[in-house]
Amino acid sequence: MRAALNTGRTIRQGSYVERKNSPAYREEASSLHMNRVDMLELEIEEGDHVCVRSDQGAVVMVACPAEGLDRGEVFVCLGPFANFLVDPETHGTGMPDFKTTAVTIEPTTAPVPAVKDLMEQCGGSGYEG
Amino acid sequence: MKVEDVVCPFCGCLCDDLVVEVDQNRVIGVENGCTLANEKFMGDRRLENPIRKEGRSWSDITYDAAIREAADILIDADRPLLYGWSGTHGEAQSVGVHLAELLGAVIDNTSTVCHGPSIMAIQEVGHPGCTLGQVKNRADVIVYWGANPIDAHPRHMSRYTTYADGFFVKEAFKERKVIVVDVRKTESSAVADEFIKVERGGDYAILSALRAIVRGKRDLIPPKIAGVTREQLFRVADICMQAKFGAIFFGLGLTMSPGKNKNVRNAIELTEELNRHTKFTISPMRGHWNVYGSNEVFTWITGYPYAVDFARGIAFYNPGETTSVDILRRGECDACLVVASDPGAHFPRACAEHLARIPTIQIDPHVNATTHLATLQIPVAVTGIDAEGTAYRMDGVPIRTRKLFDGTYPSDLEILSKIYARVKEAKGS
Ligand code: SF4
Repeated sequence: MRAALNTGRTIRQGSYVERKNSPAYREEASSLHMNRVDMLELEIEEGDHVCVRSDQGAVVMVACPAEGLDRGEVFVCLGPFANFLVDPETHGTGMPDFKTTAVTIEPTTAPVPAVKDLMEQCGGSGYEG
Repeated sequence: MKVEDVVCPFCGCLCDDLVVEVDQNRVIGVENGCTLANEKFMGDRRLENPIRKEGRSWSDITYDAAIREAADILIDADRPLLYGWSGTHGEAQSVGVHLAELLGAVIDNTSTVCHGPSIMAIQEVGHPGCTLGQVKNRADVIVYWGANPIDAHPRHMSRYTTYADGFFVKEAFKERKVIVVDVRKTESSAVADEFIKVERGGDYAILSALRAIVRGKRDLIPPKIAGVTREQLFRVADICMQAKFGAIFFGLGLTMSPGKNKNVRNAIELTEELNRHTKFTISPMRGHWNVYGSNEVFTWITGYPYAVDFARGIAFYNPGETTSVDILRRGECDACLVVASDPGAHFPRACAEHLARIPTIQIDPHVNATTHLATLQIPVAVTGIDAEGTAYRMDGVPIRTRKLFDGTYPSDLEILSKIYARVKEAKGS
């Protein structure tokens, strides 16, 4: 399924923002909010894993239904999961298109990575302490 | 011990009415704060000591060794980037700017990925703003455009707008009209008197239509614009023009959507049109605590609010060129100092990849996404908890934050001053 990815703050994202390696932060930052009819069409239920792909890469997230979104629109709180997909082009403004990323979504059984795993995929070395 | 009138160090509202209970060097209770404030004070789990990466593994080092290494990395770099600054106090930001000048570095703050486009628009057409106190006491119409305060600034509505009784607005909830404009339904749109649901990317067109209506050109408006009926736009324009005092607050829905700085410019120009009929103001919903302060401090020292490049020996500013995301995506900087922010989590992946390729030093109290990309992290006190300093509220009012207890961590100011002294000595200046 093709969709437009929007990002923004949520109160849960803000609550755990200083504990980015906690399960609670991962759960919030990897939640892909989507329209229920789109979920029906993809034959997925709340909590199912989905692979979300843009021209920048792909990341596994967890589908959850949201009332306020139209079909073809998905929302992920700002954070490392959404940013795995956002193009760094700023069109001369310094600001990437954080609110309008074209993505495709398909069901998957792959696990949802931890924030540390995502940063390791970027070339970092996870700090466990 | 209970400390009264504590300033919250989380979002740009800088609520200054918190009551915080402290037991030795630990916060054990918070009154008056929102969920975000409670988590900030109560969920505070710090990195214990400086850490350094060798190969792919991490080890603990002393503060002195970490400061030495940080300074040496910056001295050796040809094009260092000093990024972040919004989570710390003005005094530390000021040392950061002087350090950038000494190094010939680029210094940028988090407005580069929040209200940078708003600043660009304000530089073009000005800023008809006001303090939050004016809004609370006078405004009878509030517009939230591309902003969701209930999630991002949870007490904005109760302290200043929807639910805040003021001198001329005795019963706010009844007397104030609230208009929310967004591409999706949110908790904030649910409490609005009018919710304008715009199609994605349609903000500029809606702003232009409202400007035309306020100018008296209703006959030019087609039946539907960007998913919004003209009847609703007429109704909203009438509410605004009949207001005694209106206040627009806009968020990243304008600055990050197609049009960016031009959206904000159009919103400011709508405010100007409305001022032909009544009194209207417009203000950005500044998010990350002292991000407004970083703009103030950068400006009073360099003349520019963010993205300041000292490579030429003088301050140079050109968003799109000297902004952090552009510098990182081009792979241009060869070292990065991150202070009080988390670009690993909040920049596009390509930028995080470059941070992992170069020596990245992070000065931050917590383990965050950037920690995993960094070479070195130095933990510090949290301003507003165990360090004091000045921060600016979203409306430009400076507020002094206090230390709640004497902790064991040095402040950002102490660490940066030591790095500055070492760089200064090495440069012989
Ligand atoms: S609204 Fe912002 S400043 Fe006020 S208590 Fe909540 S997080 Fe803190």
